[in-house]
Amino acid sequence: MTAATLEPSSALDRRIDAIARERRTTRRSRLASLAVALALVLGTVYAIVIKDTDWARLTWQSVATSLARFAEFDTSALPGLVDPAIDTALMATLASFLGLFLALPVAWLGARNITPLGRASYVFGRGLMTLSRSVHEIVWALIFVSAVGLGVLAGILAMAVRSVGFISKVIAEAIEDVQPGPIEAIRAVGGTKFQILWYGIVPQVLPVVLGTVIFEWDINIRRSTIMGLVGAGGLGLVLFREMARSNYGGIATVLAAVLALIIVGEFVSHYARKAII
Amino acid sequence: MSNIALEVRDLCAGYGDRQILKNVSFTVSPDDFFAIIGPSGAGKSTLIRCVNRLVEPTGGSVRLNGEEILDIGQRALRLARRNIGMIFQEFNLIERLSVLDNVLAGRLGHTGTTRSLFRMFRREDIAQALTLLDRVGLTDHVHKRADRLSGGQRQRVGIARALMQNPRLLLVDEPTSALDPKIAREVMGLIREVARERRIPVLCNIHDVKLALDFCSHIIGLQDGVKKFEGRPADLNEKAMHDIYALEVL
Amino acid sequence: MHAKPSSDAAVIDDVEVTTLLEDGERAVAGDALAPPRTLRWRKWKRDLVWAGLIGLVVWSIDRLDIPLDRLPGILGRMGETLMTRYFPPDIARITQRDYLGSVFETLEMAYLATVVGIVLAIPLAWFASANMSPSKRILYPLSRLAIMACRSVHEMIWTILAVSILGFGMLPGVLALTLFCVGFAGKLFAEAIEAIDQGPVDAMRATGANPLQTFVYAVLPQVRVAWTGTSIYTWDVVFRAATVVGFFGAGGMGWYLRESMQRIASQEVAAIILSIIIVVLIAELFSSWLRGRIARAIA
Ligand SMILES: Nc1ncnc2c1ncn2[C@@H]1O[C@H](COP(=O)(O)OP(=O)(O)O)[C@@H](O)[C@H]1O
Ligand SMILES: [Mg+2]
Repeated sequence: MTAATLEPSSALDRRIDAIARERRTTRRSRLASLAVALALVLGTVYAIVIKDTDWARLTWQSVATSLARFAEFDTSALPGLVDPAIDTALMATLASFLGLFLALPVAWLGARNITPLGRASYVFGRGLMTLSRSVHEIVWALIFVSAVGLGVLAGILAMAVRSVGFISKVIAEAIEDVQPGPIEAIRAVGGTKFQILWYGIVPQVLPVVLGTVIFEWDINIRRSTIMGLVGAGGLGLVLFREMARSNYGGIATVLAAVLALIIVGEFVSHYARKAII
Repeated sequence: MSNIALEVRDLCAGYGDRQILKNVSFTVSPDDFFAIIGPSGAGKSTLIRCVNRLVEPTGGSVRLNGEEILDIGQRALRLARRNIGMIFQEFNLIERLSVLDNVLAGRLGHTGTTRSLFRMFRREDIAQALTLLDRVGLTDHVHKRADRLSGGQRQRVGIARALMQNPRLLLVDEPTSALDPKIAREVMGLIREVARERRIPVLCNIHDVKLALDFCSHIIGLQDGVKKFEGRPADLNEKAMHDIYALEVL
Repeated sequence: MHAKPSSDAAVIDDVEVTTLLEDGERAVAGDALAPPRTLRWRKWKRDLVWAGLIGLVVWSIDRLDIPLDRLPGILGRMGETLMTRYFPPDIARITQRDYLGSVFETLEMAYLATVVGIVLAIPLAWFASANMSPSKRILYPLSRLAIMACRSVHEMIWTILAVSILGFGMLPGVLALTLFCVGFAGKLFAEAIEAIDQGPVDAMRATGANPLQTFVYAVLPQVRVAWTGTSIYTWDVVFRAATVVGFFGAGGMGWYLRESMQRIASQEVAAIILSIIIVVLIAELFSSWLRGRIARAIA
């Protein structure tokens, strides 16, 4: 309606043309990058869904049959899973504590303001953090099996080492952010290096650290369910046993227990974190 | 056309259990620059946001050009909102978009979803946006990102965006609280001019009584969600002021 | 883990420190400022928590039957095993054509899973955001549940399930990684939406824009930077997982890892693990470099 009342001005027309042209160009370049991404997707789809998949064997029917096997859910086995579930939670707890324990020296190295040997130790500390986070827990578990054999210890070590990266990164960043006030105060009354660390830094970073450990604990519960691969106990071990026996109903039952444990864990970590803050 | 643009009757609103507006009524005529004054927390913003239902009222009636706004469905509400321009205290621009796109966004209610996804606005919309930007004095800033503008310039973009709707009512929520006094008067002047040119009635919240007296044709005073005063600027005497700002030291 | 002033002679006077503290540091100051009764109770509680934690650890070690005797000298033993059985890594194996092909396969799986996962995560995150969800009653709880479900199951368990349904190959890997991606990115995306400034949303609604238009104009521009960073990070995490999904029968490098392990070809295993660590580190460096660049470019 207003367009009609606008005076036809060639200057305005020219401005609009310029804008329209510019918008077309932007749209085209956007479309072009979208097309590239789409081509890549189609390429991977071709490689994965068409070339790599054996459609002769994989049919709707076969999928339906395999899904149906999971339906043989065995509720009577659930009470027997309580004990393994407790084991799983305890494994996650131990792994988180151990992770915290191992993370402390790494954080000390990797915090810019307290790192002992300057740049060298800082870079080393940061490198350890990256290494810990970059290697998947499955790989860590396999590495530890070679050292301590199959069993719960390898699983706990793997989870602990995998947790170190995140915990130490958070601690290091918290240490880098500490307020100088209390440290100055302790230094002013002649405190030693250890006293500075213990009374000046620890209280300030403690809530962050505990929050992070709880966060990792939550994740470690999830992780511990696959540590059955290396014979670590708990629900993970039961799961892998059922898998070895191709007992799909049993697998589904264990997974239900895992889910229940994770939900419980979510509640526990939620309230634990609230208690700290 | 009747000479009532907006009619608000017994409007009640609140957040959760807390009631904020208590039976507020008033009418705005087509030529009005209608001000709502009152201490902060009185419920001015709530009142204005009830008119286009950004806040859902709990009771009463709001009629725009005779049509009830409160009992219509979501789709009809969107159509109604197209006719109600709104200018905000904090400008509420989309910081990462250009000034032009911000103004064109005022046209979203009239633009198809697919077109708007690709920012394909109609030619006449772009023409109108440019003309409006010329009108509010931002000719040189059309392609700048909104977050590169000063406060006064941002509010001008906000004004242009509201006018882009070709609204039949302008809701204005403390347009100048975030601006310097000098810029504030310029912006108020601009709003009054553009509204007059287009014969759009304005419903405007103002914290600053002086501005209300200078720019507005009609004033209501709100205190604690209750209307305490209604009249011309000339009627706003000491006693009325005391009623409205009872607890505030002026 | 707080200080125990009274029991430690070498300690600085707590009160003196407290007076020098600023507001934020109540962690230290709280004890000294509290009245004596509360103080004693707090100390007691703190000791109790410590005792409880130590008890928990001891009990867990006992219950899980952890062979602590294997811990001493673990580093030495690890080194020894590495030297005798895993060293030298069979580098020739990982430069063979089929293995290099599997590295590429891993990339393909991670790419496809991330793209599909993010495309699915965007609407889910929108529906699952408390402030912007277009349907509070139905879509909001459903999409939250979907994201939660994807997250709460470990990606390797998704893989195991996918393999048991779809058979061996890259397809189940992509399915598992996609679910993982939806859970991972979906939650972060939704959190980014919940952190936006509501002002532009009000402004768009006030013009009569519909929910999709409001989302595209008021929400997307605000979350674009965060989402881009999250997406790259997600790719990085998905790629890390993609290197090992093969271990459970999906495609990629993990498949070769498993195959070598089953033949107890330890030097091959060493080489493969090494190559996994290297490509993951490269991916991580690439992703953090890219994130930094994009953040600077967009902001
Ligand atoms: N979104 C909201 N949720 C809950 N309370 C609100 C909200 N917005 C405003 N309020 C409360 O409602 C009262 C009136 O607010 P408002 O209408 O913004 O007042 P004014 O604009 O006159 O300053 C205030 O006490 C404010 O705290
Ligand atoms: Mg207000």
